[in-house]
Amino acid sequence: MLTTSLITLPFAGALAVFLLPASKKWVGSLALVVALTELGIWITGFFGRHHFDFGSARIQFEQKHTWISDLGISYHVGLFTFSFWLVGLTTVVMAAAIAYGLWAGRERANAYYALMLFLTGAIVCVFSAQDLILFYVAFEAMMIPLYLLIGVWGGERRVAATFKFVAYTMAGSLLMLVTIVVYGLSHGFDLTTASTSSSVWLFLGFAVAFTVKAPLFPLHGWLPDAYREAPPEVAAVLSGLISKVAAFGFLRIVFTKFPDGGAGTPLHDLRALFLALSATGLIYGSLLAFRAPDFRGVVAYSSLAQMSLIGLGLFAGGELALSGSVLQMVNHGLISTALFLLAGAIESRASTGVLERLGGMARGRPILASLLVAIGVISLAVPGSSAFAGEFMILAGTLQRGWGWALAGLVAIVLAAMYMLRLISAVLHRESGEAVPEQAPDLRPAELCIVGALLAGILAISVWPAGIGKHSFACLEKTQTVSTAQPSTPAQIGLECVSVTAPVSGNSATSAGANP
Amino acid sequence: MIAGAAWVCLLAPLGAALAIALAGNRLPRRAAGYLATTSTAVSFIAAIVAFAATLDRHASNRETVSTAFGWVETHALSFKLALLVDPLSLVMMLVVSGVGTLIVGYSIGYMDRDDEERRYFAYIAFFIFSMLLLVEAANFLILLVGWGLVGLSSYLLIGFWHKRPSAVAAAKKAFVMNAIGDAGMALAIFLLIQHMGTLEFHAVFSKAASLGPNAWVINVVAAGLLVGAIAKSAQIPLHTWLPDAMEGPTPVSALIHAATMVTAGVYLIVRTHPLFEQAPHVQQTAAGLGAATLLATALMALVQTDIKRVIAYSTMSQIGYMFLAAGIGAYSAAMFHLVTHAFFKALLFLGAGVVIHALGGEQDMRKMGGLRRRMPRTYIAMLIGAGALAGLPPLAGFFSKDAILSTAFSEGVYGKVLFGAGLAGVLLTALYSFRLIFLVFSGEESELVREHLSKHEGREGPRWMTGPVAVLALLAFAGGWLEVAGLWHPFSRFLEGVAPAAFAFSPTPAREWLLSGVSVVVALGGLWIAWTIYSARTQPAPRAPKALIEKLYFDRAYDLLFYHPAVSLAHLLGSLFEKPVIERSVEEIGTGTLRGGRVAAAVQNGLARSYVLLVAAGASLVLLLFLIFR
Repeated sequence: MLTTSLITLPFAGALAVFLLPASKKWVGSLALVVALTELGIWITGFFGRHHFDFGSARIQFEQKHTWISDLGISYHVGLFTFSFWLVGLTTVVMAAAIAYGLWAGRERANAYYALMLFLTGAIVCVFSAQDLILFYVAFEAMMIPLYLLIGVWGGERRVAATFKFVAYTMAGSLLMLVTIVVYGLSHGFDLTTASTSSSVWLFLGFAVAFTVKAPLFPLHGWLPDAYREAPPEVAAVLSGLISKVAAFGFLRIVFTKFPDGGAGTPLHDLRALFLALSATGLIYGSLLAFRAPDFRGVVAYSSLAQMSLIGLGLFAGGELALSGSVLQMVNHGLISTALFLLAGAIESRASTGVLERLGGMARGRPILASLLVAIGVISLAVPGSSAFAGEFMILAGTLQRGWGWALAGLVAIVLAAMYMLRLISAVLHRESGEAVPEQAPDLRPAELCIVGALLAGILAISVWPAGIGKHSFACLEKTQTVSTAQPSTPAQIGLECVSVTAPVSGNSATSAGANP
Repeated sequence: MIAGAAWVCLLAPLGAALAIALAGNRLPRRAAGYLATTSTAVSFIAAIVAFAATLDRHASNRETVSTAFGWVETHALSFKLALLVDPLSLVMMLVVSGVGTLIVGYSIGYMDRDDEERRYFAYIAFFIFSMLLLVEAANFLILLVGWGLVGLSSYLLIGFWHKRPSAVAAAKKAFVMNAIGDAGMALAIFLLIQHMGTLEFHAVFSKAASLGPNAWVINVVAAGLLVGAIAKSAQIPLHTWLPDAMEGPTPVSALIHAATMVTAGVYLIVRTHPLFEQAPHVQQTAAGLGAATLLATALMALVQTDIKRVIAYSTMSQIGYMFLAAGIGAYSAAMFHLVTHAFFKALLFLGAGVVIHALGGEQDMRKMGGLRRRMPRTYIAMLIGAGALAGLPPLAGFFSKDAILSTAFSEGVYGKVLFGAGLAGVLLTALYSFRLIFLVFSGEESELVREHLSKHEGREGPRWMTGPVAVLALLAFAGGWLEVAGLWHPFSRFLEGVAPAAFAFSPTPAREWLLSGVSVVVALGGLWIAWTIYSARTQPAPRAPKALIEKLYFDRAYDLLFYHPAVSLAHLLGSLFEKPVIERSVEEIGTGTLRGGRVAAAVQNGLARSYVLLVAAGASLVLLLFLIFR
C-alpha cells in the first residue's frame, strides 16, 4: 500500500494543483503540502507494525495487479532496501525543489507545480517498478515534464538545451524500448520472475540507455547545457535524481538480469570497458569542472565525475563497492541539490553565475558563506563526511577489483579538492566581484530552511553512514557463492543475492596486482 | 572512567564550535573566545584525569578502548568509531589540549577587535576537536577522519582573512597538498582492508608481523602512510605549503602549524611503527627525508626576512629531527622532541605575535630592531625560546635533541651520516634563531618601533597574551627535565609499551656526555656567528644565494610539472574534445532531428493507405529485430 500511495499521491496532487483556480502562492503552497505529505508517508515506512525490514532481501510493500495478461504485463511495484533509500531521496529532493520554486515564485504556477508533482510520481514509480513495461512507461512519463520544465521555465538558451536533451534521451529511450520488448517477449516482463540472459546485445541495449541518462562519459553531451539552462531547482532534480534513476537501472535490471557467470556473459566480458569509461569520466569530469567558467558548470561536471565514481563502484561489484555506491547516490542526490539551489540563490543576487564576475560574497553574508563552505567541502569528500564514507567504500571495494581503477579514484579526490575550493573561493573570497551588488542580501530564512534542511540531512548521514551503507543490501552474507547459482522459486529471487558478485579471490595477495 | 574522560576530552571543543556557529550574532563577541578557551581547558582537565587514571594502572595494562558504534559497515566488514587511550595518545592529548588552552586563551587578546572573532573561535575549537580525534583514534579509518578534519580546519584558518588573495591561495595550496597526502594514506588503508580485513591497530600489527619483513603489501602500505605523514608534517618534497600557511593569524600558526597538527606525521609513524619496522627501506627513507628537510629548511630559514616565516622554516627543520628519530627507531626520543618542540615553538610564535601585534601587523624583521628595551619581558621569553630551539642547556630543546643525536650516532654507517646532518643542523639552528633575536631586539630602535611603541600603552600586550607566553616560557625552560639521559627517564618509561626508545640504545654515559658537549659547542658556534654578523644591525646583511630565496625552486618545479600541465590538459580537453566532439555532435543530432521532424510531419498526410503502409513497415521492422536478436 505504501508504495502505491507514494506513487498515486503526487499524480492526484498534480491534477488538483493543475485545476486549482488560485494565485501562484496558494497553488505552490498546495503543491508543497503534497510534497511534504509524500515525504511524511515515506517516513512512516520506518515505523508502525508493517515497517520496512532492512534485514530482508525480499521486495517489500509489494503490490501486483494484472495489466495486460496476454503479455504477462502487470502493475507490479515494491521496494528493495536500496530502492527504499532512493524513494526517500526522491521525496526529500522534490520537496526541496518545490519549496524553492515557491520561494522563487515561478510563473504559470498551475502548470509548473502540476509538472513537478507529476515528475515526483513518475520518479517514485520508476524506483519501485517491478515490471519492465511499467518501468518504461514511468521512465518516459518522467522525461516529459522535464522537457517542459527546461523548455518553458529555463534560462535564455533554454530551447537549444531542451533540444539537445530531447534528442539525446529520446535516442536512449528508443533503444531501451526495443530492448525491453525483445527481452520481455522472450524472458518475461516481470522483473521478479524474468529469467536471466547472457545476450550481449540486450545487455548493451540497457547499458547504453542508462549510460545516456546517468550520464556517463562519453554520452554526456546533453549535460552541460541542460544543467545550465534549467531553472536551478530543475537542474537539482536532474543531477540529484534523474542520474540516480540510471544507476538504479543498472542495479535493478542490468546486474540482476545479466549476472556475471564467468567468461561468455556480457557483464564479465564488458566489465573492464565500463570500468574504464567510468574511470575516464571521473578524471575527465573533474578536469573540466576545474576549467568550467561558471558556478553551474563546475557543479555539472562534478556531477559527471560523481556519477562516474558511482559507476565505478557499481561495475566493480562486491558488497563494499555496491553499498558504497548506494550510499553515495543518496549523498550526491542531497549534495548536488543543495549546490544547485545555492547556485540559484547566488544567481538571483548577482544575476550571473560566471565566476570571474563573482567574489567577496562571504563579507556580510555569513549564512550563505557557511552553507556554501560546508556543502562544498562535503562534496569534495572531506574525511568524516557522508560523501567521504561513500567514496571510501567505493574505492576500497574498487581496489579489490584492480589497482588502476582505485588509483584513478584517488587522483580524482585531489582534483575534486582543486575544483571545489576554486569554486568556493571564487564566489566567497577576495574583493567583491563586479556583478555582486553591495546590498545583495544574505540567504533569506526561506532559502536557509531549504538548504539548511538538506545540509542537516547530509550531516545526519555523516554521523552514521553505516545506517545506509549497511542497510542497502540485505542478504549479503551468503552472496559469495550465489552469483552463479540460479534461485529457483520467484520468492527467493532477492535482487542483491544475484547482483553482488564478489571480485575473484579478493583476499589473496597474489591476485591484487593484476588488473582485470 | 578513562573512557568517559576521553570522550569528554574529545567532544567538549566540538560542542563549543557548534554552539558558537549556531548562536551566530546572538553570542557576544567576547563570549565566543571564553567559550572556546573553557572547552579546551575542559579537554585538558579530562586528559589529565585520563592520564592520572592510566598512570595508576600497571604498566602492562595501560590501554583503554572505547567503542561507540559502527561508522562504516557492511555485513562483512565493520569499522567502528572507537577511541584508544594509551600512553602515546595520552601524551598527544595532553600536549594538544594543554598547549591548545594556552594558545586559544592568547587568541582572545590577539583577535580582539577583529570583525569576525566568532568565526575564528568556532574554527579553532573545531580544530582542537579534530586533532583530538586524530590522536585518540583506535583504528586507521577514524585516524584518517581526524587527519582530514585537521586539514580542513587548517584550510579554514589559513584563509581566515579571506579578503587577502594571498591568504586564499595559501589555504587552497595547503588543502590540496594535504589531499595528496590523504590519498596516499587512503591507498594504504584500502590495501589493509583488502589484505587484512581489519583496520584495528593491534589486529593490523599482528597480521603484519605474521607476513614477515619486506612483504610488498607492507611496503606499499608503509609508503602510503609515509606520503600522508610528509604531507601533513611539511617534509620534503611535500613541504611547500607550510611557509605560505603563515598567512593565517599568528595563534593559528603557533597551534596548528607548529605545536600540534604538523607533528601529526611523527605521531603517525610512531603509532604505526610495527608496520614501518616490517618495511625497513621505507623507514630509512623517512629518516633520510627528515635529515634532508632539516638541512634544507634550516638553510632557507637563514634568508627569510619575515619573522613568522623564519619560525615556519625552523618548524619544518625541527620536525625533520623528529622524522630522523622515528626513522631510526628512536620513537620515544621523537615523541620527546615533539613535546618540547610544542613548548618552545609555540612560545616563539606567540612571542612573535606579541611583537607583530605591538607593531601594528608588521612582520618584516628588517624594519624592526631595538625592541629589547621596549619589550623586556617578551625579549626574555623569546631568548628562552631561541635558546631552547638552538639546543642550549639547560633549556628544553637541549635534552630532546641530544637524545636523537646520540641514538643516531650509535646506528651504524647510515646513522653516522644522519648524525652528521643533525649536527650541521644544530649549527644552522643556532645561527637562524639568534639572527632572529638580534634582528628584532638588538641595535637601535627603528623608525617603525618608535612610531608604534611611543603611543603603545600596555607595551607588551594584554594579559590574555602575556600570560600564556609566560607559562610557555616556563615550559620551554624546564620542559626538558622530564628526561635526562643517564639520570632519569620517566618519559620513555611511560611510553615504553607503545613507543620503545630504540632497538639498540645503550651508549655509554661517557660517550653520551661527549656527544652532548660537541653539540653544545657547535650550537655556541652558531650563536657566535649570528652575534658577529647581526648583533650590531649596522653592517648590511650578507647577500643571500638566489637558490635559497627561491626556496630551492620547489614551488616553481611543482607549477611546471603538475599545476600547469593539469590546467593545460583541462583546457585542451575542453577546447579540443568537449566542445567540438561531445557538444557539437549533439547539435548535429538536434538539427538532424529537426530535418527528420519535417519528414515525419510530411508522413502525417491524412491518407489512410499510407498509414497502413507505415504500420506494416513498422511491424516488419519489429519482426526483423526479433530475427536478429533471437
